[in-house]
Amino acid sequence: MVDVELRAKRDALEYLWRQGLSGQPLLHKHSQLIDDYLVACFANCPEAGEGMSLVALGGYGRRELFPYSDIDLLLLHAPEAEDRLDPVTQALFYPLWDAGLEVGHGVRTLDACLADARQDFFFQVALLDARHLAGSQPLFTAMHQAFHKALIAGHRREFLQNMMQHRNERHQRYGMHSYQLEPHIKESRGGFRDIQAMLWVSHALFGLQDLQAIEEAGLISPQEKESFGQAWDFLIKIRNRLHYLSGRKNDQLFFEYQEEMAKAFRYSSTRGTLGVERFMQDIYRHLQTIATTTDLFFEHVDETLGAPRANPVEQTIEPGITVRQDRLHLTDQALIEKRPYLLMRLFAHAGKTGLEIHHRSRKIVAANLHLVDDRLRHSKRMAKAFLDVLENARDVLEVLSVMLETGLLTAYIPEFEQIRALAQHDVYHVFTVDRHLLQTVAELKKLSINKTPFAGVESPHVLALAALLHDIGKGHHEDHAQRGSELVTGIAKRLGLTGPETACLSFLVEKHLFLTVTALRRDLEDDVFIRQCAEQIQTPERLTMLYLLSIADAKATGPTAWTEWKGALLLEISLKIAHLLERKDTTLPDKSQGAGWMLAQVRALMGKAAPADGTILPEEYLLSFPPEEVAHHLRLRAGLKHEKQAITEAANHKLFWSVLVMAHDSTGLLAKICGTLALHGLNVVSAQIFTWEDGTAVDVLNVRPAAEQSYAEQDWRALGEDLNLALKNRLGLSHRLVDKFRAAYRAPGQKNVQAAPRVVIDNKASEQYTIIEVFANDRPGLLYDITRTLADFEINIHRARISSDGDQVVDVFYTLDSFATKINNPSFQEEISKALLHIAENETGTGAKLQW
Amino acid sequence: MKKIEAIIKPFKLDEVKDALNEMGIKGMTISEVKGYGRQKGHKEIYRGAEYIVDFIPKVKIEIIVEAAMVDAVVTKIRETANTGKIGDGKIFVLPVEEVIRVRTGETGKEAI
Repeated sequence: MVDVELRAKRDALEYLWRQGLSGQPLLHKHSQLIDDYLVACFANCPEAGEGMSLVALGGYGRRELFPYSDIDLLLLHAPEAEDRLDPVTQALFYPLWDAGLEVGHGVRTLDACLADARQDFFFQVALLDARHLAGSQPLFTAMHQAFHKALIAGHRREFLQNMMQHRNERHQRYGMHSYQLEPHIKESRGGFRDIQAMLWVSHALFGLQDLQAIEEAGLISPQEKESFGQAWDFLIKIRNRLHYLSGRKNDQLFFEYQEEMAKAFRYSSTRGTLGVERFMQDIYRHLQTIATTTDLFFEHVDETLGAPRANPVEQTIEPGITVRQDRLHLTDQALIEKRPYLLMRLFAHAGKTGLEIHHRSRKIVAANLHLVDDRLRHSKRMAKAFLDVLENARDVLEVLSVMLETGLLTAYIPEFEQIRALAQHDVYHVFTVDRHLLQTVAELKKLSINKTPFAGVESPHVLALAALLHDIGKGHHEDHAQRGSELVTGIAKRLGLTGPETACLSFLVEKHLFLTVTALRRDLEDDVFIRQCAEQIQTPERLTMLYLLSIADAKATGPTAWTEWKGALLLEISLKIAHLLERKDTTLPDKSQGAGWMLAQVRALMGKAAPADGTILPEEYLLSFPPEEVAHHLRLRAGLKHEKQAITEAANHKLFWSVLVMAHDSTGLLAKICGTLALHGLNVVSAQIFTWEDGTAVDVLNVRPAAEQSYAEQDWRALGEDLNLALKNRLGLSHRLVDKFRAAYRAPGQKNVQAAPRVVIDNKASEQYTIIEVFANDRPGLLYDITRTLADFEINIHRARISSDGDQVVDVFYTLDSFATKINNPSFQEEISKALLHIAENETGTGAKLQW
Repeated sequence: MKKIEAIIKPFKLDEVKDALNEMGIKGMTISEVKGYGRQKGHKEIYRGAEYIVDFIPKVKIEIIVEAAMVDAVVTKIRETANTGKIGDGKIFVLPVEEVIRVRTGETGKEAI
């Protein structure tokens, strides 16, 4: 009948809890209730007594008994008491089982205790919390002393190492995706086990009994103690309720309980955030507080007790920051106050060197956050160091995480506070918003721009900032992308970004979902729609940034957010938009509107100056340029007086420059253009080549400078003059090219391993043209040699794409033969192939080796 | 009972789902698939490099209906998923021998 009594008492406890009793008092009351019951049981059992001691272990030993926690008991006995054990265990344990309690029980002699504790670390720490309940006090004291003598004293370092190892393993096991959404408040990082680990170590190694003593010993600061204590209290209340709610020993905050818990703790929904999201935000923040405090604690203790680290030499890397024993240290408090940007410099160094920041310096950062005022938030030095972390840190996730945990990130970018530890109540967003943002920066770094087909990014720091800030507007009722784009304008201003950079950042944040949403929900074959996309995105560079940001964002969201399937759709829409953007003018009519419409536009633009007969302009040409440019070309055409004269015009598109050449078409014209460009240090990236019916060639070549050179420094006038000389056959391009690049000759024997050149002639890929692809090792003048060779065969090149893939270049030509038909004759194809291979294999045109 | 498998363009999923819901079809299985039919893969040439898209992303919808419903469902999917362009997809109708609800053990019509 005793179990009925026990059950009634526990029901009474639940009643008290419903009346508002929670936190530590509830745990103590529960422990007391079980204590009273067990002590009475022991007293009432005639066989119990001499040579026996009933001991509470673990959480029960600490008097922290949660509603459905295990009750860990040890019946310690002297070997002589062996025969009397059966009735005692029956009297003690059976009623507990009958009452439905989870009992962890052991019946051991003192020697068996020590032997087991040596074997089993968990039993060892359970013994740390041993508390005498009933029976022989001397027996208990003997066990207690023997345990400390055998396992703790003289084994302090080993004990610590074991504890830290178990802690790390536990963090890994409970750090997986599923535990991010549904934290395990006992085992997860920052949960009860971390609290206990700190208390056990303090108790066993330093004899410190509680948080107060730990603070007084200087192992944690008063501020840490306060927030740690609050977090602990909060988690106790959560766990009490979670047990009652689940009706069993459950310590994981499963999704289905979160809302009910939030309601019970009076978190109500506001506009923009759900109550449950703010509830979970508090949980995550408290878990983080405990994780950070215990991390620092363990590093500190490890340093005190651990083996001396290598590299005792101290090295100053800048005034106020040194490297000692492979850790970065802040060394000068006075200097920090004078130059508070040192706080950020510390992280820049951590990023650059890959070294960890010493725990004491992390505390120094946290203690100096008051120095991060509005003035510092506008400081150029601060911004430079911060952007340095974003762009160059070796392990950017680690550095930013520490920056977040010390509070520096939110102090520097106060907009971050709103989303710190903010949870999203769905199964899709696995991480809290702040972690997701850091993760996005890390994912972005992993994406290599070279692996994408798109244009380069001129300002990687803007892209990195966009990754860090794209969800900054979350937690409000407005559209988060829209709100975010407004917030980042202010941040960009403080960071000292230029006007265009700010606009670009704001654009990226506002549109960060655009590509993904569009790729999934819109018809990618709808040309009008694709054009609207291109109009919104405006430049190839923005497209590249958006594409990379979309991938990084998805990958950082959770295991289900990114699939190859999505990747394929994203690539498809991006390629389609890129093609349009490359044509610069997005208002261009598509083919359905036709060349006739274009011609009418040109006529309207030019008025009387329009050519009487528009049919000299081929349809494909008309569809490749906006009316303004066609009109411009027609006007330039009037300036072409002689057969052997060329008009050259350059334009700056930032990522590349373009050169327009207009001349009377002649065999080898393109070769001469390419040769002249090479002579002037310009690499051709792509080319569009047209010939009007009246024999006017209009060639647009996109080029990049071979050397570091600005658009203004390039001598465009000289280029035009040389081209005119070449057209008049007064310029020996071949020997000049060799002369110019002689300096780049490579010493024999240093040649890299290179892929063999090859030539592919393809009549299938394009309906209209024969595509000739030349794969060759790059060298100056290569394009000149190839185009000259094709001219010798009287092959007309209508379009060209030149790209490099490491050492190899891939030159793609859309060609027709002299009768304007595809090259179908196999023997002619072979002849062309051989001639081009000869050019490609010949490394310099003169047999010498060139380095390029 | 028949199983209807429809391969459609991804952006048509919401429309098709809504249309089927309106007809009273509440349950379906959706998966992200890749493949090619007459649309083939295609080659994109961009900045000189080729991007071969050999399998095209599609969405597969699977629905089990009574035989009497098949025509109506197929027509509805066809109407909704049609853009008139190549690559709109395909619909397959397959016989189903039996349907069993795992929880209750109900079979046949009741289990759909």
